[in-house]
Amino acid sequence: MRNNLIALLVFAVLAASPVAIGGYWTGQLTAYLVYGLLAMSLSLVWGYGGILCFGQAMFFGIGGYIMAVLTKGMILPELTSSYLGLIAAMAGSALFALALGYFLFAGRGISGAYLAIITLAMALVLERLMNNWYALGGYNGLLNVPPIKLNFFGASFELWDRMPTFYAVLAVVALVYFLVTWLLSSAYGLRLTAIRTHPDRLASLGYNVLTIRLSVFALSAAIAGLAGAIFVTLDGFASPTLIGFTLSTEALIWVAIGGKEMLLAAFLGAILTRTAESWLSEIFGDYWILILGIAFMISVVLLPKGLLATPLEKLTGSKRKKTR
Amino acid sequence: MSFLELKSLCKNFGGLRAVDDFTLTIEEGSLNALVGPNGCGKSTLFNLITGVLKPDAGKVCFKEHNITGWPSHKIARLGVGRKFQVPAIFEELTIRENLVIAARNTANRAAINGILAQINLIEAEHMLAGELAHGQKQWLEIGLLLAQAPSLILLDEPTAGMTAAETRATADLITRINRDQGITVLVIEHDMGFIEHLACPLHVMSKGQILKSGHFADIRKDAEVKALYFGQAEALSDA
Repeated sequence: MRNNLIALLVFAVLAASPVAIGGYWTGQLTAYLVYGLLAMSLSLVWGYGGILCFGQAMFFGIGGYIMAVLTKGMILPELTSSYLGLIAAMAGSALFALALGYFLFAGRGISGAYLAIITLAMALVLERLMNNWYALGGYNGLLNVPPIKLNFFGASFELWDRMPTFYAVLAVVALVYFLVTWLLSSAYGLRLTAIRTHPDRLASLGYNVLTIRLSVFALSAAIAGLAGAIFVTLDGFASPTLIGFTLSTEALIWVAIGGKEMLLAAFLGAILTRTAESWLSEIFGDYWILILGIAFMISVVLLPKGLLATPLEKLTGSKRKKTR
Repeated sequence: MSFLELKSLCKNFGGLRAVDDFTLTIEEGSLNALVGPNGCGKSTLFNLITGVLKPDAGKVCFKEHNITGWPSHKIARLGVGRKFQVPAIFEELTIRENLVIAARNTANRAAINGILAQINLIEAEHMLAGELAHGQKQWLEIGLLLAQAPSLILLDEPTAGMTAAETRATADLITRINRDQGITVLVIEHDMGFIEHLACPLHVMSKGQILKSGHFADIRKDAEVKALYFGQAEALSDA
């Protein structure tokens, strides 16, 4: 309950922030909200499901490309609906995760460092593939991706302007946050905690561990795909960098700094790290990455639960190792 | 067909034959104990029954099903509960949440309060399982099996690391589970005092096979068993 109140407070502060930060930073913050969505997807699969996916950006990129291809009318010129694009992006990313996850988790399954290496390698392979897939723009990517077009009872408008775009994205992010939080507080959340700590015990109680792992992997991929789909409409641009190594690693750092076992902390980790990057890179240039590295080390060594999750846990008064 | 039938089971790890042409029949409602020195294949046998490992040869039949090579979760759903050698509980969840997960359906969940009383953890139900003492963790794991509503439970060293009083309480608990609830029990244990307290048929395992079967009083006098446990010299001096 207290977790939800704190989350509501965070979203209220975010909703009020455009008044204080102005147009440029509202545009930036919109992109950071989308990165926060990506961070939430990684927190779900890594912090809750115990699956260290080092290539989470591949789902982000797949979602982005599906959205771009559909809404640009590259498949069927009459099928350019944003709603269809968003649904297809989520479904496409989830299906890809199901196929990949089956090979990763079937039988005895792959876990730990091996899983991290394979998912990272997969992201690199996809990035290389997109760089050379000329029908999808190759290295240059796809330009002129249209903004999201919303239809309400016959009326329609496009998310061009910063303010409506910001509030639409914030609403989607908040909706996803509360839906996932609700899911984690159900019996499904208990199973995820159980599978993370003792998969063999869970199997010996009659649970199909493969199905549970695939479900969380696919759900997390769908959320990342949704984030990617929204992201390409903000910039009007889908490129191979969305799918590969750099963004995957960055997402991992946001989540580790925020706190992988707390959805809200992971989300805020992405926003704060990106904001810090913008400020610090203006002051220190490329050296800002050293400061990020130090923050990452502090987080891993001194506050392994995360720089943000530790105080947030105190605020929520949770005694649990995990806030569900 | 018997309740649980293990027919000519074999399992090799590289050049090591852990289970060697192992045959055993367990009747429904019975309580049996399996003893043997470390490395004789007892836990491997449990892994073969519960689907954690696939046998290289032989068959596992349970309640008229040939379950050889079935995945663990399917075997568990058929009514086989298994306690691991090291307590396998969900330490980040409360005791009640552990039992809720184990129960899997509403009918079994109705029995949770009774199980909490049975394993003597009713007052600690909202504690995190990771905060329990070792002996209580062992009991909680037995509670998980009960919440699963199984017809056969396999207990791998249920008293390891327990005090003498806890060991006696565990022996009583297992006897009650078998006698009052009619659950078939097969238990692996090293503690001979515990085995004596159970007063059940005993199977001695050596090098992946059954060496002797019988009642505790007869088995303890057997020269081959003595040699297995205490060495040839002591067995001969006893003779």
